[in-house]
Amino acid sequence: MSSTHTRAEVQEYLDRMRAALADLPDVEISEIMDDAGGHVVEVADELGDDFSAAALTARLGTPEVYAHELRVAAGYPPSNRSVVAQTPPKPVFAARFAFWALVAGTAAAFGMGIGGSSGFPLALLVGVFVVWSIVLLHRKPELIGQVGELPETAALKQAIDQAEEGPASKAIAYLKSLQPAWWLARAVLVAVSGLIIDGFGVFFLVALALAGLALLSGPRAKTDRRWLWVSLPAGALAAGVLLYVLGAVIPNATYRDNYPTSYAPTFPSLPSNVYVFDKDGKALTDVYLYDDEGKPLESPFYGCEHDGSRYREDNRYPRPRVDYDDRGECREIGGVPFAVSIPTVVQSPSASTAPSAPSGSVDPSSSVTPPASVSSAPPTVPTSK
Amino acid sequence: MDTSQLLKGVLDLAVLAVLRQEDGYGYDVLRRLRAGGLDEVGDASVYGTLRRLYNAGLLTSYVVPSEEGPHRKYYSLNEPGRERLAESGRTWRSFAHTLDDLLGVVA
Repeated sequence: MSSTHTRAEVQEYLDRMRAALADLPDVEISEIMDDAGGHVVEVADELGDDFSAAALTARLGTPEVYAHELRVAAGYPPSNRSVVAQTPPKPVFAARFAFWALVAGTAAAFGMGIGGSSGFPLALLVGVFVVWSIVLLHRKPELIGQVGELPETAALKQAIDQAEEGPASKAIAYLKSLQPAWWLARAVLVAVSGLIIDGFGVFFLVALALAGLALLSGPRAKTDRRWLWVSLPAGALAAGVLLYVLGAVIPNATYRDNYPTSYAPTFPSLPSNVYVFDKDGKALTDVYLYDDEGKPLESPFYGCEHDGSRYREDNRYPRPRVDYDDRGECREIGGVPFAVSIPTVVQSPSASTAPSAPSGSVDPSSSVTPPASVSSAPPTVPTSK
Repeated sequence: MDTSQLLKGVLDLAVLAVLRQEDGYGYDVLRRLRAGGLDEVGDASVYGTLRRLYNAGLLTSYVVPSEEGPHRKYYSLNEPGRERLAESGRTWRSFAHTLDDLLGVVA
């Protein structure tokens, strides 16, 4: 007869039994659980290979029936409803609080793991709730049984049971067999989360301690459901960290596409300045240039400082020339620094086919300082460029 | 007739009786009762009864560690327990005698 009884079904039976006795004084509960709880374990052991939750119930009745029979025989009030003095509604509230703190804690841990540091204050609050639940569960061991009896827990259990019996049953069984490996990986990932937050700082030490707890919580939660309050959030955090790490390793898929092209402005390839003349060789100023789609041909321009910035961007040409006088004051000089003579003979279509090199172009940067006009263009060449 | 109804009234007496010879832990008491012929006795009833007799000061208890598993709480009859057993025993005998007489008339 082996008494190393850690089967989850036995623990659940005991939890429910404890819940059904929850209104009794603490001393009585612990005495009964010592005594009759030991009996349940012993009966489970006797069943040996035939053991199952159903077999245990067939032998002893449901935990609630067992507890009821025991109460009657012991002369306790039959059920907690008839007891007015003993904390009636509070345990249910506490159980519900513990349940939802676990749910929220698991979700928040996942969010934290995946790198949602913006929700840090909220996650911290949820963390406080989870720790509070753990303290509550520790101080009132019967609470775990009440959590087990909440309608939301029952619904969750039913969903899990259905999943385990459904078409994915084999996959789930296989995943379950990997659990010990996952417990180890989970502890490592929790420690890694500390590293991600601040290298080898305080958070890392905290995470290291949590990793130890996470490692413990896996096997413990099998027999003592209270460890779920550590185990589940740790698992969610680890899963989040795993996704985060994967995302960092494969950045292209997730991040590159997020930058729209407008973030990297592209300018048309214009020379640093453009001078325009009419057919009579008269220089035109304040000309606005557009491309074939009607979009302004804007280009960056550094002039004198206006409103704290030298930079502006528009499609007005020609740009003024920038000059500094003896005192270092900046001046923008308008006008055109040179003159051209436009050929009167040829029209532009035939002119554009002219093969000779456009030697008449003037580098505007060299012409910035001397404001004097230079007549340079040979008469045969149009100064279209 | 449903013996479980009868049992309720006399389970105290039965438990005290099986503890008279030798101390025993819960499961032990249950086995002795069943071996003695009370096979309808419920597991939980026995534990509840032990608890009540203990709370009434008729039993003392001590814990014996078990190398195989959970430690066991042994119950033993103390002086008030012995007195109660003797008194309840007398009550039962006279009750049974009365009932026998009644049945004798009916039969």
